[in-house]
Amino acid sequence: MTAVTMDRNSLWAVDSRTIVYSAIGAALYGVLVGLFKVPLPGTTAVDVRPAFALVPFFGFAFGPVAGFFTGLVGNMIGDQISGWGALTSYNWSLANGAAGLLAGLAPLYLAGWLNGSVGRKAAAGAVAGAVGVVIGFLIVFSDIVKDGLDFNGALGEYVPAVVGDLVATIILVPILVYAWDPVRERLGR
Amino acid sequence: MNFVPRYLGRGSWLAQRDPRLLVIAVACFVLAAIQVWDIRLMVLLTALGFAWYRTAHIPFRAVRRQWLFAIGFVSLIVVFNLIVASGRVQRLPEGVEEHIYGYIPVVGTPVSDASVTYAATQWLRFMGMIAIGFPIAFSIDPSAFGATFARLGVPYRFAFAIDLTWRFIPSFVADFRTTLDAQRVRGMDLAPAGRTPFSRLRRQVPVVVPTVVNAIAGAEDTIDAMDLRSFGTGKRTWLHDLRFDRTDRLVLIGFVTLLVAATIAAWTLGTALLWIPPFLIPG
Repeated sequence: MTAVTMDRNSLWAVDSRTIVYSAIGAALYGVLVGLFKVPLPGTTAVDVRPAFALVPFFGFAFGPVAGFFTGLVGNMIGDQISGWGALTSYNWSLANGAAGLLAGLAPLYLAGWLNGSVGRKAAAGAVAGAVGVVIGFLIVFSDIVKDGLDFNGALGEYVPAVVGDLVATIILVPILVYAWDPVRERLGR
Repeated sequence: MNFVPRYLGRGSWLAQRDPRLLVIAVACFVLAAIQVWDIRLMVLLTALGFAWYRTAHIPFRAVRRQWLFAIGFVSLIVVFNLIVASGRVQRLPEGVEEHIYGYIPVVGTPVSDASVTYAATQWLRFMGMIAIGFPIAFSIDPSAFGATFARLGVPYRFAFAIDLTWRFIPSFVADFRTTLDAQRVRGMDLAPAGRTPFSRLRRQVPVVVPTVVNAIAGAEDTIDAMDLRSFGTGKRTWLHDLRFDRTDRLVLIGFVTLLVAATIAAWTLGTALLWIPPFLIPG
């Protein structure tokens, strides 16, 4: 993973690599998010969105800037393509961005895991993604102000979203890390 | 669903505007709409949103699916969050009594004149936001996205990333379809099967992972091309030179005025509080 070699300063570097990976992440997330949805049994209107795993993965693999951009812009594009409108739920796009950003900060709180085998890196990806989802999506509580929801209403949005995205993150981020690591080695990154 | 960005509003009045105006209009409208809870004003705001949308001349048949999704999703959210699940009404003016029509069976949530008004106001708000935001995808020249956001103050690297994102979408959609076809030829069935979400999720891995890894691996050419052109070493210019004309300035002033007026009215005239139409009040 690129994140393995990141020191504290290079985490925030915005070079051509960051820009291109950010754009790729956002485009993939925006396109794939509406295509695949898996309903969670025993819940109403709660879907696992496999494409969401791209947000923590891009953050974890390419840094917090790429993660934030992938979540923010990718969610806006997905909303715009579906007809919902890029800015209608801008706070949810920010929450997606925050999830990617927090996953990208893994070198700050999971440094020990990133220097081990691919298996340890994959586990670190899942943990960083889970941290990003649980904390990042707290932003959706801003619906209390924006949409006039009460606390229970906002909690009713937060919990299903986090559960669905956690399932996608914990399963798919390690798979993506396993798939990406040999490619990264081959490219010499 | 067609994911390729389409310039459906080409040649329309809205498409002739400076694209920055379309983004600023949405921002002003959204910030104004979230402050309004008086349904009479919300009807006016929603009408403004649809009037704006009409000037884009987007053929309905080309965006029918998007509209169906938007209307269905808004209705689901509003009915579920505000009527079925909650039933609690905020923004009710002091001294106004809530009249309960009855209770939803099983969940026991009360349905009242206030909760119906609250849900209707929220539904109108979302529809207005969607109508005014729709033209961003279909009435801005796709090649002007980068310049638009750069001239709106977004740092040029991120404006370039937005431009790049929009340009990547068609090629990723093509790659995705190729991967899907290739896996189907190998006998993969994407139809939902399996008892748990985990097994269903696993079935999608053979499509999602190759699409993602191919996209990332193929990025090297773009990165090299940008490095060879010294991307990031200094301030860059854009091919599109954007200028507000007289009409753009007038419309811009109109939307800024709308935002300021909505803010002042919310603080002084009580438009941030619910207004229940008399015909909803029983007796």
